[in-house]
Amino acid sequence: MPRVTVTVRDNGGRTATATVDYTVGQPVLGGYYLSGGADPTADMAGGNFRSLTQYRSFADGYIFPGYNRPWLVTLGRAGIKMNMVLELKHYGAPNTGPQTFTVDGVTYTVPAPAMTIQQRPGTTWPRAYGYSQVLAGQCDGLFARALSQYRTLGFGVNIQLASELDTDHEFGTTEAGVSYSWASSDARAVQAMTYIVNWFKARSLPAGTTFSVGVGGFDRACYQRTHPEALMAKLDFLQWNVYATSATHTALARFRRTKDWAVADLGPVALSRPVLIAEWGVRVAEVPNQAGWIATVPAAVAALNAERGPRIARTNYFNSGWGTLSPKSVGLAALKAAYAVRPYV
Amino acid sequence: MAAPTVTAALNATVFNPGETMTLMVTYGDPDTRPVTVTIVVTDAQGNRSAPVDVVAVIDPLTLTVSDDSGRTWSKVSDNGAVAAYRAVA
Repeated sequence: MPRVTVTVRDNGGRTATATVDYTVGQPVLGGYYLSGGADPTADMAGGNFRSLTQYRSFADGYIFPGYNRPWLVTLGRAGIKMNMVLELKHYGAPNTGPQTFTVDGVTYTVPAPAMTIQQRPGTTWPRAYGYSQVLAGQCDGLFARALSQYRTLGFGVNIQLASELDTDHEFGTTEAGVSYSWASSDARAVQAMTYIVNWFKARSLPAGTTFSVGVGGFDRACYQRTHPEALMAKLDFLQWNVYATSATHTALARFRRTKDWAVADLGPVALSRPVLIAEWGVRVAEVPNQAGWIATVPAAVAALNAERGPRIARTNYFNSGWGTLSPKSVGLAALKAAYAVRPYV
Repeated sequence: MAAPTVTAALNATVFNPGETMTLMVTYGDPDTRPVTVTIVVTDAQGNRSAPVDVVAVIDPLTLTVSDDSGRTWSKVSDNGAVAAYRAVA
């Protein structure tokens, strides 16, 4: 920690001294995600990319590094900070039935996922392992399988539990035939997330392991409900996602929306944690000058980090869905240019 | 004779690389007393000008600022009691 020393001296040689210490933070890590969890190595080449988001379902038998994803090990060993989003949402398995498998000599049977989430009217509701199933210990085998694979990676990662709890709960959830409102789904998720974090932390973890809980950050009440101090004390990051989906959306306004709610609503433990933006993106339909918008992000992040409140530590561009870079070469060039200036260097 | 006094404060405790840091130094000496010199001009006829006061600082204090990280702190202002310095994080 650098120290400034100030000395004042009078004519007789008498002196007084004052010291003050300060810290210069690390640069914000510029990051990426490529659609479909595809190999981003070629896109990242020549850019100051230092962070990556990945998504896996606990249902998937190949979580670390993932099925046919040796490049994740290469990037991680090269120092790219991984944000591994591990979801109770069910995908990556052959079917939605129960699973029986053996981990390190122990055989587990995990029941079929009993919950539906993202219950948007007129859509097929995705299945997920239920919060009651987690609390009953029925999903411990899934966690054991993930941990066993994680220990072979060779580096620590951030484990983000759930992608966006607000998106998952917005239209309520149903588990084993019982319907839960958005608010009660949030409360149940906090219990289940606490259980999972405790489960992992009770076991030997690779050095550098950190935890966070995934929330899109578009609903203030949900954000507050899902960030109680007791849970935040077990977590290392705040997290939210940032999208520009209107011509009126500025980078500063979009990155700051959830931060302002957090600063107003959350406790001191939560606010002591740095922020991991697992996804940010610009929807080209409403913001045709995608590259121009991207160019305004460094100044916006720097401005927010100069204010009080939690510091944004990583920002991972989501080159998929709403954030799809189009045309890709132009968007990627803009992203590389943005990550080449303060606060990313 | 008493020793001088000094306090120092930064505008933040954590900075981002490249950010401007501002250091405020408040300093003084209990021995320092204001000295006012009053000047009156008188001519041969005995006409006297209005008096003019000049405040003098006798034996001003010397401030030095050092940083063990090697950063250079530049003085931005100094009124004899409060001085501001700046450096780049």
